[in-house]
Amino acid sequence: MNIIVPIKQVPETSNVKMDTETGTMMRDGVESIINPLDLYAIEIAIQVKESHGGRVTVVTMGPPSADKALREALAMGCDDGVLISDRKFAGADTWSTAYVLVKAIEKIGAVDLIIAGERATDGDTGQVGPNIASAMDLPLATYVSRIDAVTGTSITVERMTEEGYEKLRLPLPALLTVVKEISYPRLPTLRGKQRARKTDIPTYSVADLDVVENHLGLTGSPTRVVKIETPKVTRGGKIYKVVDDHSLEEAVDGLIEFMKKKEII
Amino acid sequence: MNYGKVTKDTIAQLVSLLGEKNVFVDEEKMESYSHDETPVEQFQSMPEVVITPTTARQIAEVMKLANRELIPVTPRGAGSGLSGGAIPVYGGILLSVEKMNKVLEIDYENMMIVVEPGLVTNEINGLVAERGLFFAGYPMSLETCFVGGNIAENAGGGKAVKYGVTGQYIVGMELVTPAGEIIELGGKIIKDVTGYDLKKLIVGSEGTLGIVTKAIIKLSPLPKAITNLLVLFEDVDSAISTVPKIMSEGGIIPTSIEFMDKLSVHTACEYLNEHLPYQKAGSMLLLEVDGTKQSQVDEDAEIIGELCLENGAIEVYVADNYTTQERVWSVRRNIAEAFKVYSPHQSLEDIVVPISSISKLMPRIEKIARKYDIKMPSYGHAGDGNLHTTLVKNPGSTMEEWYDIEEKALLELYDAVKELGGKISGEHGIGVKRKKYMGDLVGPGEMAMMRAIKRALDPNHIMNPGKIFDL
Repeated sequence: MNIIVPIKQVPETSNVKMDTETGTMMRDGVESIINPLDLYAIEIAIQVKESHGGRVTVVTMGPPSADKALREALAMGCDDGVLISDRKFAGADTWSTAYVLVKAIEKIGAVDLIIAGERATDGDTGQVGPNIASAMDLPLATYVSRIDAVTGTSITVERMTEEGYEKLRLPLPALLTVVKEISYPRLPTLRGKQRARKTDIPTYSVADLDVVENHLGLTGSPTRVVKIETPKVTRGGKIYKVVDDHSLEEAVDGLIEFMKKKEII
Repeated sequence: MNYGKVTKDTIAQLVSLLGEKNVFVDEEKMESYSHDETPVEQFQSMPEVVITPTTARQIAEVMKLANRELIPVTPRGAGSGLSGGAIPVYGGILLSVEKMNKVLEIDYENMMIVVEPGLVTNEINGLVAERGLFFAGYPMSLETCFVGGNIAENAGGGKAVKYGVTGQYIVGMELVTPAGEIIELGGKIIKDVTGYDLKKLIVGSEGTLGIVTKAIIKLSPLPKAITNLLVLFEDVDSAISTVPKIMSEGGIIPTSIEFMDKLSVHTACEYLNEHLPYQKAGSMLLLEVDGTKQSQVDEDAEIIGELCLENGAIEVYVADNYTTQERVWSVRRNIAEAFKVYSPHQSLEDIVVPISSISKLMPRIEKIARKYDIKMPSYGHAGDGNLHTTLVKNPGSTMEEWYDIEEKALLELYDAVKELGGKISGEHGIGVKRKKYMGDLVGPGEMAMMRAIKRALDPNHIMNPGKIFDL
């Protein structure tokens, strides 16, 4: 079972300061980490490998420093890492990123399963995983919260929907995006770190991939970030203040009426 | 002691010295000044008046007034203490330094900062970090505690193995003596044997010998790289026997060597829903190494990790980024909270023993816990033998039973500590909480010297009375 896990390096945002004038993040001295939601993809990929054999290859597109993220994934138990790095990739949107990732995955070789995180904590689009599936014409299950069974030809998963769960069986190769509920990421071990340090991580540049140059980077991206602003919350709730029997009755009646209107009861 | 009462006239004098807004007697407002982080139901005492002076001169005048009228004065920082040192056990005047919270000078050439006692300790680090400096005293409560309290208690913390405790960084101070004199001790100098080292006497004196109104603090270069190791061991012995080897064989002084016994590890991991394979672990070490270069720090971490494995560690986890470091430290930080779920009634202890005695102490602690049917998790700073063994009430017993058990179990714990060459407080202080056990632990000659100092400096015994020992 050859599993590929595409990951992203994101800024560690819990201590981040915002520039109040431009609305952008102040990146000075901000540490880069593996996108926290990708850790779940890494974990479940390793678990599948542990029970069904095979190799887990972790791949990322980013600056040369993204090597650190790949080695952390190797230390957790992934087998191989691939870094896709070239100035010409800079500024890529989700479509262009997926385009390059697909080309890299094709170069890596035969793949049975691609597992991605639900979304990245910086861009927050959740598009790259499904984009890859679409470009490679692979069956896709998003928001996967459990893997029930893996055979040589199919995988059975449970995915979360707004109403509950869906159980799906996908023929392999397939792509999954996974949610937090699927597992608990392991910590890298000393032995893992030592192995990761010695592992050779190839870097793919534009020249190494069969890519069309006008599909790359900012210029090759069909979407543009025009403006970033903080949305105004317009959905106001109604607050009932209960101080006596009368106001209690009013609140209960109000709630009942609301739920009837929304067809909840 | 027969102390004078705070009268209307006293209040009037205080108001004329400090202004109306710095003197209050409102019960509701005073309530939060009547306790610290020790259990409220056991250690609480209302002040008669709370004052918030803004200058050393004002404090000096208050001390003179207190001497005239024989009114006790209890100095107070942030109230985050764990021994009741800031509780006004005889009522009187509660003197809070909260309004004296200014940074007076940052002297980059000498790598020193001059601050008032009411400054939140962590603010120092916020100010000097961009110049690559930090205050290495590092108490665990640094986000809330005040510099003044750190000095009064000679606070330690998780980084004491490498950086030592607060006192090492206090090179000078301005002090208001119990008699109401303003004096200067030490200065912006590293070496000083010009007479007795009085600033060292004041550090850790729990506010019984004067009130620090200005502190000169030495800063250290801020480490640029940090790596943590979380190590699972099968038992206490293999973990503890590794600790001295890290320094002697490994040749490395880690920043932290935190120890957690089985009960602490399991309870904290369950509380946090942490899925590390902790079930196998009989104890855990959390180590931190820091330095200027990541490659050097990684190398140090590797040497330590190998030593742990040679000593029978089950697994060594490496945390060298924000995500994993937060995760491993949260296990250590959440132990106390985790046990509150079991019972909020606890006695957080602060025993300190020679490092090699920790493994001898553990079975003694287990025996005491079994005898009294309570939980007694032990965790803390293995690198300096300072353990926060905690007595946790059995939810099935009544409060009366608990107070009885607490006292008996504490006595037995302290006996064991004494036998193993230890002391009952490493960094929290004696305060009121451990006062009655002082006599058993400190020899008569030492007690006599302490009393002589106290009598000489505070003849009216008004400076934070009822703390450490009785006269």
